[in-house]
Amino acid sequence: MLRQFYPGRINGVWLAFLGSIILLGLLIGMLAWPAGEESSKSPLLVYCAAGLKGPVAAIAKEYEKEYGVPIQLNLGGSQTLLAGLEINKRGDLYLPADDSYLVMAQKKDLIAEAIPLASMNVILAAKKGNPKGFKGLDDLMKEGVKLSQTNPDAAATGKLTREKMEKLGRWEELKKHTTVFKGTVNDVAADLKIGSADAGFIWDALLLQYPELENIPIPELDGVSATMSVAVLKSSANATAALRFARYLGARDKGLKEFERNGFKPVAGDTWAGTPELRLMSGAMLRPAIEETLKAFEQREGCRVTRVYNGCGILVAQMRAGQKADAYFACDITFMKQVNDLFMDSSEISTNQLVIIVKKGNPHTILDLKDLGKPNLKVGVGHEQQCALGALTKNMLEVAGRYNVVAKNVTVQSPTGDMLVNQLRTGSLDAVIAYASNMTPNKNELDSIGIDIPCAIAVQPFAVGKESANTQLSMRLLEAIKSGASEERFRKNGFNWQVAPK
Amino acid sequence: MSEPNAAVGQPHLMRGRSDVPFYAAFSILGGTYVFLIVAMIIADLEFTTASHVLNALSSPEIRYAIKLSLISCTISTILSLWVGVPLGYLLSRVQFPGKGAVDAILDIPIVLPPLVIGLSLLILFQTPFFKALDDAFPITYAVPSVILAQFSVACAFAVRTMRITFDQINPRAEQVALTLGCTRSQAFWMVVLPEARRGILTAATLAWARSLGEFGPILIFSGATRMRTEVLSTTVFLELSVGNIEAAVAVSLLMIAAAVFVLTLLRVFGSESAFGKAVEP
Repeated sequence: MLRQFYPGRINGVWLAFLGSIILLGLLIGMLAWPAGEESSKSPLLVYCAAGLKGPVAAIAKEYEKEYGVPIQLNLGGSQTLLAGLEINKRGDLYLPADDSYLVMAQKKDLIAEAIPLASMNVILAAKKGNPKGFKGLDDLMKEGVKLSQTNPDAAATGKLTREKMEKLGRWEELKKHTTVFKGTVNDVAADLKIGSADAGFIWDALLLQYPELENIPIPELDGVSATMSVAVLKSSANATAALRFARYLGARDKGLKEFERNGFKPVAGDTWAGTPELRLMSGAMLRPAIEETLKAFEQREGCRVTRVYNGCGILVAQMRAGQKADAYFACDITFMKQVNDLFMDSSEISTNQLVIIVKKGNPHTILDLKDLGKPNLKVGVGHEQQCALGALTKNMLEVAGRYNVVAKNVTVQSPTGDMLVNQLRTGSLDAVIAYASNMTPNKNELDSIGIDIPCAIAVQPFAVGKESANTQLSMRLLEAIKSGASEERFRKNGFNWQVAPK
Repeated sequence: MSEPNAAVGQPHLMRGRSDVPFYAAFSILGGTYVFLIVAMIIADLEFTTASHVLNALSSPEIRYAIKLSLISCTISTILSLWVGVPLGYLLSRVQFPGKGAVDAILDIPIVLPPLVIGLSLLILFQTPFFKALDDAFPITYAVPSVILAQFSVACAFAVRTMRITFDQINPRAEQVALTLGCTRSQAFWMVVLPEARRGILTAATLAWARSLGEFGPILIFSGATRMRTEVLSTTVFLELSVGNIEAAVAVSLLMIAAAVFVLTLLRVFGSESAFGKAVEP
């Protein structure tokens, strides 16, 4: 076999080897050649459930066209994507098939904000025309019926079906008659389409993707539904841009329309605006506790929050006069009740204790409410109608049976506690009844005397306007106000924290 | 895999009735597998129509996936051969400490579930050195990750094949070349490698086919970003997950066509021109 070595002759194997180097270079060159013009804006990486590809890709394309921000969709099973981003900690948005994955992502501390998009119902599906003539749940237990459903531990449809059927006491029976458990709801739908199963539990939203299937309405599945949301990843290097696209996905006049076209039932989303504006009406006493949070919120969301600070009585009057508020943060629950019809259910955020505030050293030796009736004492309280402070003070004094004694010494009624404290500091008042938080900025000059009566406390609720065009954005503001960073600011300003830990 | 020797390679003539049951039994046993493959392809063809295939071909995403698949598989194959040939040769011809361990390590990519390989690659690229590398030259979730994922698995097959190939080549010719004054390198290039032609071809075929079918590691390590890291196997998965079974089957058929085309091309070129002329006397 050995050949003679002729000088000048090229060995064929060498030729093949050199050829492989040249080929490799050519191929790499082909890959490196740009496929199209690259956008100068940095792209957003979206981890998107493969089943949502249709609507999301269409919305992304529209967004790219409108704003020139390239969107890269990384498609896959919701669980696979979650596992990947847990390790890789990269990317901007996560859009799983349903919210159960967001709960998992939340537990792993991977996500920040979530914007709801649509809801889906679990339905019983069969081939179009219902060839097996299914009428109810009982038909699934018949001999020879092949039932496919998702693994309850792996997919939301399976989990929801199991929960409901367990409640009805029919799960064990149903499980026994299930031919196969699949990993994803698309596998179940594919089973039905190919014909390897006769019936299966899937999302109603899938019917548009699978025109070969139809819904077999059964009362047992009424109200078995889940929400689907897009979440901003904590790993996102450009959260504002990510949030902006998330808002676009969830805007009622943008992304949600596309979801609706694809068979989803969209949630009540916000109206799209590049830089949305929120009007927040807030009790003046809350200003020092929320101002920082609002600034951070504006920066992250790329929105503007118009603040209207005033005594809550005045705010209520303004709202009654027709002024619209996207959100309202009241000094006390009593001032929320007066406008309950304008707002959704409120959340209690903080409490603030009523105290007697005097100058440092307590020159007039005031020890309790009774001492406020001392002769020649100048006392300041909140205005009874204009602010929560005044209303609460009045109520408290009446409960304590000291109203008349103190009333004769009241020289001024102010709409905010801050004004009372200022008057005390200038010397025009000897004592004021105000919130514990009012003395925080001037702690060194003032002393406080606690009031030991249960109703001497104000509870601050936050609510989102029913007619707001920015309900979702306002909800996120609420989440920001409930956050740990916000709690710290409230406590620092003399408030007690009322939000139950998650 | 190895060249049949002359005696066995002769066409067998049926010498009597006694041979018939033997051939019949072998044909039936072997035929079932061929039948299974053909039946699957026919069922696939039944499930789709020409318009689905044309639709698939007209989609820019799928055209990109075809291009990326063909190029990345070929790059992975070349890289696998560059590593597989020397490593196979060392394992076959050289005794060195820790050879058993190396041998065992090379089995890992073959034995492990593909998803685990993807996961391991992803974790590897979170370690400080690789992370820095990734930051300087994007690999994770970019095209190089596709090639690396394919290479990680395909190379193991190339190494195995090359080792068996060198094992089966009689070292005598090489030794003769050495005694005639060749250096080890000359003997390798001029004697051993030409003899290993068929083995290299088989290794290339296996590595290429393995790369084309690679799916699990790519999905995890490269993601399935359309027009970026989507290869044909990912396309099948993506189409399946939106209920488009017809398109998934159409793309599968395209994969089969691509595989048959490339592998045939490789055999035709490999067996004749490239190596042949330099080797045959």
